[in-house]
Amino acid sequence: MVSLLRNQKVRNALLQVLYVGSLAAMVLACVMIARRNLAAQGITSGFDFLFKSTGWDVNFSLLPATANDPYWWYFLIGIINTLFLGSTGLLMATVVGTIVGLARTSSNELARLLGRTYVDIFRNIPLILQVFFWYAVITHLPTPRAAHQGLGMLLTSRGLYVPVPNVGNLAMVATAVALIAAVVLPVWLGRTARLSRPVGERLGIQVAGAAAALVCAAIILAVGRLPDLPLVDFPALQGLNLRGGLRIPPEFSALAIAIAIYGGSYIAEIVRGGFKSVGKGQMEAAQSLGLSPWRIFTLVRLPLALRAMLPILANQYVWLMKATTMGIAVGFTDFFMIVALTINHSGQTLEAIGILMAGFLAINLSLAAVFNRINRAIALKGNQLRG
Amino acid sequence: MIAGNSTKSGGPAVRLENLDKYYGTFRALRNVNLSVERGEKIVVCGPSGSGKSTMIRCINRLEQHNGGRITVLGAELNDDVGNIDGIRREVGMVFQHFNLFPHMTVLENCMLAPMIVRKQPRAEAEVRARRYLEKVRIPEQAMKFPGQLSGGQQQRVAIARALCMQPQIMLFDEPTSALDPEMISEVLDVMVTLASEGMTMICVTHEMGFARRVADRVVFMDAGEIVEEAPPEEFFSASRNERTQRFLSQVLGH
Ligand SMILES: Nc1ncnc2c1ncn2[C@@H]1O[C@H](COP(=O)(O)OP(=O)(O)O)[C@@H](O)[C@H]1O
Ligand SMILES: [Mg+2]
Repeated sequence: MVSLLRNQKVRNALLQVLYVGSLAAMVLACVMIARRNLAAQGITSGFDFLFKSTGWDVNFSLLPATANDPYWWYFLIGIINTLFLGSTGLLMATVVGTIVGLARTSSNELARLLGRTYVDIFRNIPLILQVFFWYAVITHLPTPRAAHQGLGMLLTSRGLYVPVPNVGNLAMVATAVALIAAVVLPVWLGRTARLSRPVGERLGIQVAGAAAALVCAAIILAVGRLPDLPLVDFPALQGLNLRGGLRIPPEFSALAIAIAIYGGSYIAEIVRGGFKSVGKGQMEAAQSLGLSPWRIFTLVRLPLALRAMLPILANQYVWLMKATTMGIAVGFTDFFMIVALTINHSGQTLEAIGILMAGFLAINLSLAAVFNRINRAIALKGNQLRG
Repeated sequence: MIAGNSTKSGGPAVRLENLDKYYGTFRALRNVNLSVERGEKIVVCGPSGSGKSTMIRCINRLEQHNGGRITVLGAELNDDVGNIDGIRREVGMVFQHFNLFPHMTVLENCMLAPMIVRKQPRAEAEVRARRYLEKVRIPEQAMKFPGQLSGGQQQRVAIARALCMQPQIMLFDEPTSALDPEMISEVLDVMVTLASEGMTMICVTHEMGFARRVADRVVFMDAGEIVEEAPPEEFFSASRNERTQRFLSQVLGH
C-alpha cells in the first residue's frame, strides 16, 4: 500500500481525482444554494425566458430590433455588437501598434522617442479612463446642424453618420462574407502557391483572388439592391435632425478609439519585439545578395518578424476582445451589457451569466483556434539556429 | 556598368588602399593595403578580433570604411548607391552562421536574388539553382527548409545561394568555424573545387591545410593591421615575424 502511494503515476492520478472531485462538489453546492434562494424569491430557473419579449430597447444594433423581440434575439444582437466593436477595435489597434512599433525600431532618433513616449503614456492609463476621456471628447462635438462633414460622413455629438448601401439584409450579410474573403483569400492563396510558384507570380495570384472576391461583393450589392431607392443611402441634415445613413453612436466610437489607442500601445511592443528578434545575419545575407532595402523588408524582415509576433499577438487579441465589456461603462449595448440588462429585467441571473460565459468562450476559443492554425501553417520548419 | 569598365581596364579584382575603419573611437582597421588579382585566392588569418571580418565586410559595404579607398572590379566603393548595388551583384558572401532564409526552401533561397536582382525568369533561375545545388552536392535537398539540414549542408546551400548570382568574387568569413569537425571537409571540398575553376576568392579561415592547398597568398592580420603577406610555403615555413610565429604555433600546435 505504501509502495503504491510512492508510485508517481498513482500519485498523479489520485491528485487529479481529488482535484476534480472537490471542484465538482463546490459547483454543485453553489447551484443548490442558488436554486433555493431563487425559489424563495419566486423565480423559476430554466431557459424559457429566452422566448419572451424583452420590453426594453437597445441603443445600437446592426440587426433590426424592437422591444417586442425575444431575449435570444437580443443576445444575438449583443454578440454581433461585441464582434463589431471587437473587430473594429482590434483592426485599429493593429494599425496603430504597427506604426508605433515600427517607429520604435526605426533608426531615426525622434521617431524612436515619439514611439516610446506613446507607449509609456497610453499603456499606463487604465483603459476605463481612456474610454471616459474619448466619450467626453465625442459628446462635446458640434450639434447636428454644425456637423463636420467629409467623405459622405457626418460627425456630430450624437455620433458618426456613415453612408450605407440600400440593400436587403441577406445581401448585406453576403457582401460582408465576400469582403472578408477578399482579405482571407490572398493569404490562403499565397500559402498554397508558395512551393509551386515564384514570389512575383504568387503576388499576381493573390491580387486575382482579392479582385474576384471584390467583384462578387459588387455583384451581390447590385442584385440585392432595394428597388426605387438610390444604391447608397447618404446621411443628410433634415430640419434639426439627421436622416439616413448608419449612426455609429458616440459610445461605440469612444470604445473603439480607446481600445485602438490602449491596445495599440501593447501591440507596438509586440511588433517591436518581433522585429528585434529577426537575426541580423539574415538581413546581412540579403544585403550581400544585392536586394534593395524594400525587398529585404518585405521578403525577409517582415515574414520573419510576423512569425515571432503572431503567437503573442493572438493572446493580446483575446485580451482586447474581453476588454469590449467596458461597453457597460458608457452604455454601449454589447453582449455584456445586454446580459446585465437581462438580469435586471428577468432575474434569470445564472442562466444569463452562463450564456455570457459560453458566448465569450466561443468567441475567444475560435479566435485562438484561427491563430493556432495560422501559426502552425507558417511555422519555420526544422531546428532554428540563431546566428 | 562596373563589369564594362573593369573588363576593359583589366585592373585588380579588389584593391584596398590605406583603409581605415573605426567603431566609435575604436580603430578596427589601420591603414590596410591589399590588392587581389582576378582569379587569385587569398586566405586571411589572424587572432580573433584582429579585424579580418571587418576588412572583408568593408568590401561589400556591410561595414562602411572611414578612410582610404576600396576599388572593386574597377569601381570605387563610395556613397553612390548605384555603385554599392553593382558591387554587391558581383561579390558573393558566405557567413560563419550560414544566414539562410529559414522561411524559404533551399531552392527558394537560391532563386530569390537572381529573380529579383538579376531579373532572371523563373525557369532559368530554377535550372541554375538546381545546377549549383548539384555542384555543392545536395541536389536532393532542394525542397527542404534550412532548419531541416545539418550545418554542413546549410553552409553548402549558402555557397550555392551566393553562386547563383554568378558573382565574379567570393568572400568567405570563417565558413567552417561553426561546423562540427566531420562536416568541415564537405564544405572545404566545395571551396577547393570552386578555387580550381578560377573563382576570385578571399577566405577568412584558420584551416591551414586549405590555405596550403589553395591559397596564392596568405595574409596575416593582427590588431587591425596586415602584418605579413606571403605565399603559403613561405608563410608557413620561413616567416620570421614574431607575431606570425606565435599565431602559427597556436593554430598548428595542437
Ligand atoms: N559592430 C561593432 N561595433 C564595435 N566594435 C566592433 C564591431 N564589430 C567588430 N568590432 C571590434 O572590432 C575588432 C575587429 O573585429 P572583427 O573584424 O570581427 O575581428 P575578427 O573577424 O578578426 O575576429 C574587434 O575588437 C571587435 O570587438
Ligand atoms: Mg570574424
